[in-house]
Amino acid sequence: MVGKGGAGKSVISGTMARVLARDGSRVLALDSDLLPGLSLSLGAGPDPPEPPLREAAEKDEDGRWRLKKGIGPVRAVRRYATDAPDGIRLLQCGKTPREGLEPIMGAVNAFYRVVHRLERARTFDDWALVGDLPAGPRQVAFGWAPYAQTFVAVVQPTAQSALAARRVVRVARMREGARAVLVANRVTGPADVRHVEKLVGESVLAAVPADEGVARAERLGIAPIDHAPASPAVAEIERLVAALAGG
Amino acid sequence: MKIAVAGKGGAGKTTVSGTVARALARAGHSVLALDADANPMLGVSLGVGPEQTELLLGVRQGVEAGEVEHEPTVEGMVERFGADAPDGVRLVVANRIETENPGCQCCGVSPDQLLRELEDGGRTVICDLEAGLGTVLRLAPGNADVVLVVANPTAKALEVARRAVAIAADKTEVIVLANRVRDDADLEAIAAAIPDRELIVIPEDATIARADRDGLAPIDLDPYSPGVQALVALADRLAGAPVPA
Ligand SMILES: Nc1ncnc2c1ncn2[C@@H]1O[C@H](COP(=O)(O)OP(=O)(O)OP(=O)(O)O)[C@@H](O)[C@H]1O
Ligand SMILES: Nc1ncnc2c1ncn2[C@@H]1O[C@H](COP(=O)(O)OP(=O)(O)OP(=O)(O)O)[C@@H](O)[C@H]1O
Ligand SMILES: [Mg+2]
Ligand SMILES: [Mg+2]
Repeated sequence: MVGKGGAGKSVISGTMARVLARDGSRVLALDSDLLPGLSLSLGAGPDPPEPPLREAAEKDEDGRWRLKKGIGPVRAVRRYATDAPDGIRLLQCGKTPREGLEPIMGAVNAFYRVVHRLERARTFDDWALVGDLPAGPRQVAFGWAPYAQTFVAVVQPTAQSALAARRVVRVARMREGARAVLVANRVTGPADVRHVEKLVGESVLAAVPADEGVARAERLGIAPIDHAPASPAVAEIERLVAALAGG
Repeated sequence: MKIAVAGKGGAGKTTVSGTVARALARAGHSVLALDADANPMLGVSLGVGPEQTELLLGVRQGVEAGEVEHEPTVEGMVERFGADAPDGVRLVVANRIETENPGCQCCGVSPDQLLRELEDGGRTVICDLEAGLGTVLRLAPGNADVVLVVANPTAKALEVARRAVAIAADKTEVIVLANRVRDDADLEAIAAAIPDRELIVIPEDATIARADRDGLAPIDLDPYSPGVQALVALADRLAGAPVPA
């Protein structure tokens, strides 16, 4: 999930993960944002003060971070991912603490290494992997989501959001074998959808409505799918999941 | 004076930076608007328009493309790569990431470096930061005279704002902006998360939303809307604020 800051990446990725899990998929949710987001939208509560993945990393003789011996992607997910509702496993790179990045650098490095090995681990072949990336094109450009077959660019009906989506989609499509699709968020009607499509220059795969239930859930820090399961926004994200599965 | 603007993604950093820059310029100040987001958008809220904003070259990219002499000074780079925005604001984009593997971000010109090395020299530098806490963490005392932390009444944005305040307050003056406030409950939520601090309220404002929908500067669409007025008042206050020695 990619896009401008505040576009709705965490809301949509968290809800998508829940929908996939309820549909019977094994789901690994991957949170590479150093700021809070996915855990709350997923319904897994606030982020842990220390990233469990820190345990997976050690420094080599030159002071560079590496995964501890014997820890591959499967073991990393088994040991250091946490449980989220509906049987989802959540792997996080950690959140920036007050003291600075130093306490989480091990986890951040471990996360980067683990996601680069996910593809080779056959275990995850039949899992659904849902990644929530931070705002902007940075992580897409630097390969933080090598597992992604599809980049979903979330875009609101605004000029800035469309500019961000165009940029990030361009970078995502430079990656071999990856496709990028657009999802409009916070639309108030068909005119908003047309506005998004005109600004970005391509059509959207889904259009998630601006939804008071989602807004309330987010103010309270509850997962939209728990707070407003019957909301139009959740229904549209269900349709998005079906559309993505349809290829 | 040097002002940096921080907060969660989508909190309103660019809206605040662009509108305060324009308001300061209208009040007669010399203003340099520094876009420190690798996904640069400040041109839009300054009123340069999305198409023009897309054409602005990042200082880093300009230097890499060999567009300046060796060892360019910061002032030289600003002069060479800056663009003019309405009301005489000078706009500079630090860096834009627009290709795969864009090279080590630790090397070359960085947004942090521009903010650090730019002298205010009688003008006001207002710097729109990338979402998150990266630059705030790296900020050294003296790099900015004021950090504006933009908060929204959502659980996530408040968590980010709380951390930004805690980190920045050790180094410089901090002003917390309660943005997108619709009612007392919104304001109370922000006050509860960030207690014992004055909150500058910027109401939820249809003009601001409308402006971004159409790629316009809020201050051009309606300078008298409540949200824009709150930002103009903030600019006045910043301009009058004594600069810490
Ligand atoms: N469909 C929607 N209807 C109403 N409000 C929404 C909707 N989607 C998102 N929001 C609002 O937008 C806010 C930002 O959403 P979210 O946190 O998912 O964005 P993000 O793209 O993950 O942001 P960041 O860049 O900071 O990670 C939410 O807290 C919520 O208030
Ligand atoms: N007070 C307000 N009232 C209504 N809409 C607002 C208000 N403040 C910001 N917005 C809208 O919220 C959206 C995000 O604002 P903005 O782009 O300024 O945030 P940002 O913090 O710079 O985001 P990013 O992290 O992507 O850089 C924009 O569409 C903007 O118009
Ligand atoms: Mg997020
Ligand atoms: Mg911005």
